[in-house]
Amino acid sequence: MRGMTDDEHLLINGDGTGDDRRINLLVKSFIKWCNSGSQYQHMLSTLSLCEFSMVYDMNLQEMENYEKIYKEIECSIAGAHEKIAECKKQILQAKRIWKNRQEYDAVAKVIQHHPDRHETLKELEALGKELAHLSHIKESVEAKLELRQKQFHVLLSTIHELQQTLENDEKLSEVEDTQETIMEADGK
Amino acid sequence: MEPATPLALPLDPAEVFEALQQLHMTVFSQSVSPCGKFLAAGNNYGQIAIFSLSAALSSEAKEESKKPMVTFHAHDGPVYSMVSTDRHLLSAGDGEVKGWLWAEILKKGCKELWRRQPPYRTSLEVPEINALLLIPKENSLILAGGDCQLHSMDLETGTFTRALRGHTDYIHCLALRERSPEVLSGGEDGAVRLWDLRTAKEVQTIEVYKHEECSRPHNGRWIGCLATDSDWMVCGGGPALTLWHLRSSTPTTVFPIRAPQKHVTFYQDLILSAGQGCYVNHWQLSGELKAQVPGSSPGLLSLSLNQQPAAPECKVLTAAGNSCRVDVFTNLGYRAFSLSF
Repeated sequence: MRGMTDDEHLLINGDGTGDDRRINLLVKSFIKWCNSGSQYQHMLSTLSLCEFSMVYDMNLQEMENYEKIYKEIECSIAGAHEKIAECKKQILQAKRIWKNRQEYDAVAKVIQHHPDRHETLKELEALGKELAHLSHIKESVEAKLELRQKQFHVLLSTIHELQQTLENDEKLSEVEDTQETIMEADGK
Repeated sequence: MEPATPLALPLDPAEVFEALQQLHMTVFSQSVSPCGKFLAAGNNYGQIAIFSLSAALSSEAKEESKKPMVTFHAHDGPVYSMVSTDRHLLSAGDGEVKGWLWAEILKKGCKELWRRQPPYRTSLEVPEINALLLIPKENSLILAGGDCQLHSMDLETGTFTRALRGHTDYIHCLALRERSPEVLSGGEDGAVRLWDLRTAKEVQTIEVYKHEECSRPHNGRWIGCLATDSDWMVCGGGPALTLWHLRSSTPTTVFPIRAPQKHVTFYQDLILSAGQGCYVNHWQLSGELKAQVPGSSPGLLSLSLNQQPAAPECKVLTAAGNSCRVDVFTNLGYRAFSLSF
């Protein structure tokens, strides 16, 4: 019957189409050749036909398979490229962080050389206090010195005045004496 | 007695001259093109050679890719310093600064676009220009060299706007501190001076040789190399290579290398330095030597990192010095190959 699919043909009639049929034909022609010895060429041609058709099918399938594998590999290559780009970005980021850390370390090393800020401040405070104390003492000593100076000055000027007054008195009394002797000499 | 038989190969005097030139060549400066695919190198004969990095790094690189694409005679004296803007190559050496168009150079047309000479005080001797620095915000160029001054030149008009005085001996190197913006200069007099560009005054002076941790009087007090990362500065030369914290002007780490370093730069979390001795040293900020990669020249004078965003495949470190070769490090850990003049 025509218009049947291969599967229906196989189910109903019991003999398959395509390769299976060719194999059956081959077996039949082989048996004929064994019996009669005349169908040699026919058998050979059937044999080669079988072989080539099978090989042809096999090649087609292999091609499909390879195409599939090829596409898969292309996809994975593209994926790998993207991952590489990502990783490169990450490396750059990591390098930046590393550099920042090293810069930090470098400055920290220099800072460590200098003494602690609190200690220095305390020392400064103590020194400041000492300085204030000492300047206070200096001021009071200077005040005392000035006072003494003034007192001595007063004392010395008073002594000097007294000396002057005494000298003046002496001179006056001398002058008076001479004046008296002159007047007495005149009066005689 | 028969006279000695002459050599089988007649020695062409031109070839001999070329070979001698190669032998005595020193490459002083390098600069990467704005597209990132080409490298310019300047040598002591005044020549500039352009190498194609993309060709040399590609998988079909041959011996010829490691030779220059074009070499031209730029200056009468050595080319001590080169920088690139986004369209021009600026080179300086014998007292003049010259500008070249990258597009023209790549087409092998080697005519200078302009040349300028900063106003020197004496017209008798023309001092050399040791360092060039680009200030992108102001679109100006700072030149420094033998006359102990920093000249600033506006790139649009070509006029010289300021002359910063303060150094007592010639200036070796310049660096830009982006945040302030300030320019750092280091010179033969042993001091690193920070200049504020807006007020044109000296802001800070760090006399490196006066600090006991880093001074090495037997080497002298000259500052050969300078690099800055806004808060930090690394400088070296006569005194030991030291990392400084700029705000407090204190030396934080002294890198334990005896050879004076001639070029130093910050890169990611490392400091790369090169100088006497054929190595490129990779330092961590803590002072540890992470790697010491040998180059092919007996002494290195200049390092260049190609970080142009337009050509990430040409991201390489190139080192050049006392030979005609420029070493290319694709992965910082080893020398991939050398370009040669």
